[in-house]
Amino acid sequence: MGKIPPSFKGSQFPKSTLLKTPQSPSQTPLLTQKPQHFLKKIPNKRPSKSQPTPHPPPPPPSLTFTTPLLSDAKSLFNSLITATTTNKHTIPSDPRFFNSILQSYSAISSPHDSISLLNHMIKTHPPFCPNKSTFHIFLSQSCKSPDPTLSTVHQALNLMTSHGFPPDKIAADIAVRSLCSADRAEHAIELIKELSLKNCSPDTYTYNFLTKYLCKNRTVSAVNGFIRDMREFCNIKPNLVTYTIMIDNVCNGKNLREATRLLGVLAEEGFKPDCYVYNTIMKGHCMLSQGGEVLSVFKKMQEDGVEPDMVTYNTLIYGLSKAGRVKQAKSFLNVMAEMGHFPDAVTYTSLMNGMCREGNAVGAMALLEEMEAKGCSPNSCSYNTLLHGLSKERLLDKAIELFGLMKAGGMELETGSYGTFLRALCKKGKVAEAYEVFDYAVESKSLNEVAAYTTLETTLKWLLKAKEQGLVV
Amino acid sequence: MLPQRMKKAITDNPKKLANLIDLVNLPSTLREFMGQSQTSRLGCFMRVWSYIKENNLQDPNNKNVVNCDEKLKTVLLGKPQIELAELPMLVKLHFSKASK
Repeated sequence: MGKIPPSFKGSQFPKSTLLKTPQSPSQTPLLTQKPQHFLKKIPNKRPSKSQPTPHPPPPPPSLTFTTPLLSDAKSLFNSLITATTTNKHTIPSDPRFFNSILQSYSAISSPHDSISLLNHMIKTHPPFCPNKSTFHIFLSQSCKSPDPTLSTVHQALNLMTSHGFPPDKIAADIAVRSLCSADRAEHAIELIKELSLKNCSPDTYTYNFLTKYLCKNRTVSAVNGFIRDMREFCNIKPNLVTYTIMIDNVCNGKNLREATRLLGVLAEEGFKPDCYVYNTIMKGHCMLSQGGEVLSVFKKMQEDGVEPDMVTYNTLIYGLSKAGRVKQAKSFLNVMAEMGHFPDAVTYTSLMNGMCREGNAVGAMALLEEMEAKGCSPNSCSYNTLLHGLSKERLLDKAIELFGLMKAGGMELETGSYGTFLRALCKKGKVAEAYEVFDYAVESKSLNEVAAYTTLETTLKWLLKAKEQGLVV
Repeated sequence: MLPQRMKKAITDNPKKLANLIDLVNLPSTLREFMGQSQTSRLGCFMRVWSYIKENNLQDPNNKNVVNCDEKLKTVLLGKPQIELAELPMLVKLHFSKASK
């Protein structure tokens, strides 16, 4: 899954990639919603071009627009109509076919021109009757167009209303997502407020999407302001998923005080924290290397009768290892196996990481064997952790052997392990080997040339200096 | 530990990075070796190192030592033998002059 932190020193890696595992819980609840959105969207936004094929002589599947000029687009459409009528081909009556034409044109034109093309299409080819999805094309286009105000979006929504499709939840969702993808979150909030006045409040998916977007891109106070506004203006209350998103966000920023406050609010609202909430909190404590807190969250979880999942155990073991309680962490290996969660590469790598931190790289190597014996294959993170640990303890022969394995497996080197390994090699006067490692790092694209070279140069500079002073043989 | 420090050093000191990757007009001695009139310090180092590898110039008994051939001597101060560890410094010599 994740990668190994570039370094083992506690404070050195605020955003350890290992933590990705614990992060995933908060994403999972979102993932479960997403398919619904896609189900809504796919028929709307991606009018399938293969649809027309059932017709005996397949008509030109689609038009490709090369210029954003409206006149060119019109004449292209006209030629399509005349070509099919003279050849006695039938144009598919499916509006999806026309939508695909509009979609491809809207990708390169301005909202105004696309609407003109629509009018032109209706005029020259009356059988075409625009449906809801047609207008969704304009809606998303107008949201993505650079515009300091919401006027084009309003235009698109008015157009929908005048064709008998008043804005609904789907339209709101499309608009919010498109606006966010154009980095116009403030406009998205404004639009939601307007729409909810028109009795069309967004559904929880839209709401959570926007919350997540704000969490990622705005300040905590902006998110809290948004939640408050939504409660006041639109009468939408955050649900458990919303809280999980927010807690995850503040935990990533190491703001555990806010996380605790949110937990209180969550309980006041009558929600019961679930596995994902606990995992997220646990991750927050992991980031601060608070081993005791990590354990107490786990205990609280058990008291509340929440079933821990794989991510919980991995977070727990990671947190304990990071806080230097490797023994305790190791004891959970059996516990989790008893619960039916078998330790995976992430679990073992966390443990190895902890052992290497303690200066027990030999023990970590033994764990590697144990894990392989149990049929769990190590990933490049596991190897990088070990390489780093071995190099740090100057167990160079083993490190070189391990590097050979990594090379054979085509695994990437990470900055931390690369640097440590390089220095260990140079210290023992194995400069040629260091050059080989440098070559491998560049070849395997683990690091860019500049980073790899800078490390090499600094290390060699240091080596020459040390030689001068007679520190190294 | 070092990589972070280095990253910081690079971001703190963009000049250092620039003097590594900026294209520089080469002195005539280097020009002949590189077959180019402009290159960066990094490019030059990579070229010299790959030249050493291509021509198997590393001493078979001690891989840390390079036995220079005539062409390589022209760029590395005419030394008959250099240590691999010195290589970045030797390449740098050409460039610190050029930048002045």
